[in-house]
Amino acid sequence: MDKSSHISVVLDLSPSQWHLSSLPHNPYPLSFKSFLSQVLAFLNLHIASKHENTLAVFGAFPGKSVMLYSSSNPASDSSDSGNPNIYRPFEIVDSRVVTRIEEELELIDDKEEEAPIGLVGALTKALCYINRITHPTTSTQSTIVEDPAILPDPRILILSVSPDLSTSYIPIMNSIFSAQKLKVIIDVCKVYGPNTVFLEQAAHLTGGSYVYLERRDALLQHLVMSHLPSPALRKLMAVPTQEKIDFRAACFCHKNIIDVGFVCSVCLSIFCAPVPVCSTCRTKFPIKTLQRLNASRAPALRPVNGAAKTSAPSTPSLPSTPR
Amino acid sequence: MPPRKDNEYIDADSDSDVDILDESGNRGRKSKGKAIDRRRKDKGKGKSSEQPYAWEASYARSWDTVQEDEAGSLTTAVADLLARNRRRRLLAPANAIRRTIIRHLIIILDLSLSMMDRDMRPTRFDLSLEYAREFIVEWFDQNPLGQIGLVGMRAGLGERLSEMSGNSQDVLKAISERHKLEPAGEPSLQNAVEMARGSMGHLPTHSSREILIIFGSLTTVDPGNIHDTLEACIRDRIRVSVVALAAEMKVCRDFCDKTGGQFGVAMNEGHFKDLLFELIPPPAQRVLSRAAGAGATNPAADLMVMGFPVRLPDTSLPALCVCHSELKSEGFLCPRCSAKVCDVPTDCDICGLMIVSSPHLARSYHHLFPVKPYQAIISLEEGSAFAKSCHACARSFPDAPTSTFTATAEGMSPLGRYRCPDCHHDFCTECDVFVHDVVHCCPGCGK
Repeated sequence: MDKSSHISVVLDLSPSQWHLSSLPHNPYPLSFKSFLSQVLAFLNLHIASKHENTLAVFGAFPGKSVMLYSSSNPASDSSDSGNPNIYRPFEIVDSRVVTRIEEELELIDDKEEEAPIGLVGALTKALCYINRITHPTTSTQSTIVEDPAILPDPRILILSVSPDLSTSYIPIMNSIFSAQKLKVIIDVCKVYGPNTVFLEQAAHLTGGSYVYLERRDALLQHLVMSHLPSPALRKLMAVPTQEKIDFRAACFCHKNIIDVGFVCSVCLSIFCAPVPVCSTCRTKFPIKTLQRLNASRAPALRPVNGAAKTSAPSTPSLPSTPR
Repeated sequence: MPPRKDNEYIDADSDSDVDILDESGNRGRKSKGKAIDRRRKDKGKGKSSEQPYAWEASYARSWDTVQEDEAGSLTTAVADLLARNRRRRLLAPANAIRRTIIRHLIIILDLSLSMMDRDMRPTRFDLSLEYAREFIVEWFDQNPLGQIGLVGMRAGLGERLSEMSGNSQDVLKAISERHKLEPAGEPSLQNAVEMARGSMGHLPTHSSREILIIFGSLTTVDPGNIHDTLEACIRDRIRVSVVALAAEMKVCRDFCDKTGGQFGVAMNEGHFKDLLFELIPPPAQRVLSRAAGAGATNPAADLMVMGFPVRLPDTSLPALCVCHSELKSEGFLCPRCSAKVCDVPTDCDICGLMIVSSPHLARSYHHLFPVKPYQAIISLEEGSAFAKSCHACARSFPDAPTSTFTATAEGMSPLGRYRCPDCHHDFCTECDVFVHDVVHCCPGCGK
């Protein structure tokens, strides 16, 4: 019947965003504590729904990413004083995830708190982990012989609270393409903050669902209804789909997210303003093209053009052009 | 599945049997001796200019490199060879070279009677059709903005099988019906190349023009002087590559050498595929301006304006599209004039803006920003902290060296540890290959 499935959950654990999310002036304030308890309930549901289901939890902290839990590396069974009233696997997951998050948050000092969130690292780790469990290789001297037929359907669920980080455009796109190659679905649940363009594209390109949480007090219900069913089951269910998908990209020069860009024909680097030299491949563009492009966009975008001109010398390409 | 996992490169310089071992391992045992035989012979043939014939080279005692482990089994040695092969590919230069990414390729298929030869199973014709299909799929995967056209050589004529198209389905459809392509007569290299050249004449200067010829015959019947065609190809900067199935022909070799293409004679089925698939990654562009000095402008380069659209779902309100004037709900909105077009990439019919979806562009960025090669950790030095498990997949590392013999020269780590030079995290062999082949993004530093 339905195969076992694997979920790699990527938790966005940005302290500042979670602080903002819990402020009472939000329409539906959601504190990190209640978020975590709902997510743990979801993880338990996943484990309970089929015995072979596997799970991995990754945390994206400011400036780093950590694997919090994986079912193939069961934690050292130190906490033997288990509560007899709780199903043991649930307890292991819950305590492990919570203690690891606590440990990692302890390690973060104030300076690091403002570092960009390590979502890309968590995402690529999830992919590497999925690659490991779906391609059991011979070179690992482990004796576990896994039948490829029973290997789980892998998918990734990203619970995001941070806004888009435009510097991570290329790594995120690369992760999306490798997810496509591994046939991994990326589901995104946007818990707090504005829609992120890149994660929308990730969900769209890998066939996952992107859910923007409006009623944030109903997080668990959203998770259960739209992210718990396996991809095979989803065809039969009315899983919310995306309204619009924004195919915007980030430019390479100022990391702005743009809808009309200037593209180098040699290496396809995207720039938000006409540049004389491609900063990636050092191609020089013909003066005529520059003049034509500048002239065409000048009337409509005068202020932007001026800003681009002043900021042009700051592009990394220019100082080295005389070579 | 990583794209090129099965596409082990054949290292032209090595005379050891490492390649042959694992390649003939997958193939039938029967053909083993023969394959090695022919490989040897043809290698001498292909590289006659710079290297002595294979039988003149010193003999490589390839069996000496394979050692049994303590248990007397060869499995570890074989696993080691495989890991080494994968690793060797990674050691290719990782600095960013300029590559032409907007590619235009015409594949010329030989449809002459010589393709019915059965020296490749089932026939040369069926095999080349099959490989052409795989080639096209993989080519579009790696060159998303490229276009492919197909030309056949049959009965002394060039025959257009499909127009230049950026849609892999269109191209695949053209060669899906075998009975329409039934080989006949003699091939004409000149007619086919002229036809391919003609269909690439209008292309913009900043794109690459390439011709790939799969050539099974040893003859060509041409109406004129084929060297004039060659001159014209050089003038138009068309890169011609030939994969010959029979033997090397002087004129084919000339075509490849003078236009900067690659020439190869397929020795067996596996090698045929390797030769084809080597042509998939975008070729490094011959840099014109650098030789001419800093002041020169590369005429091939240009800055293009492109728009990244918004995609409407099929649940949105229907509206007329500008390309077909049909009432449709799904579509893409031009970011400049908000006109609705059916498909991307295209030029907006209203404002003329080139509309592409940004994932199309992003697919090729890993060529531009490759991950730095990881350094193999040779030994665990005392005093420094070493992670217990792989930073990416959390697989635990072995404590003691597992390799039965030292292979440090080829960049193998006896500990199975590879370290990123930037973030100093350790990764296992699988993740090393996976990160460099598929993800193109280091999990440690996120770039």
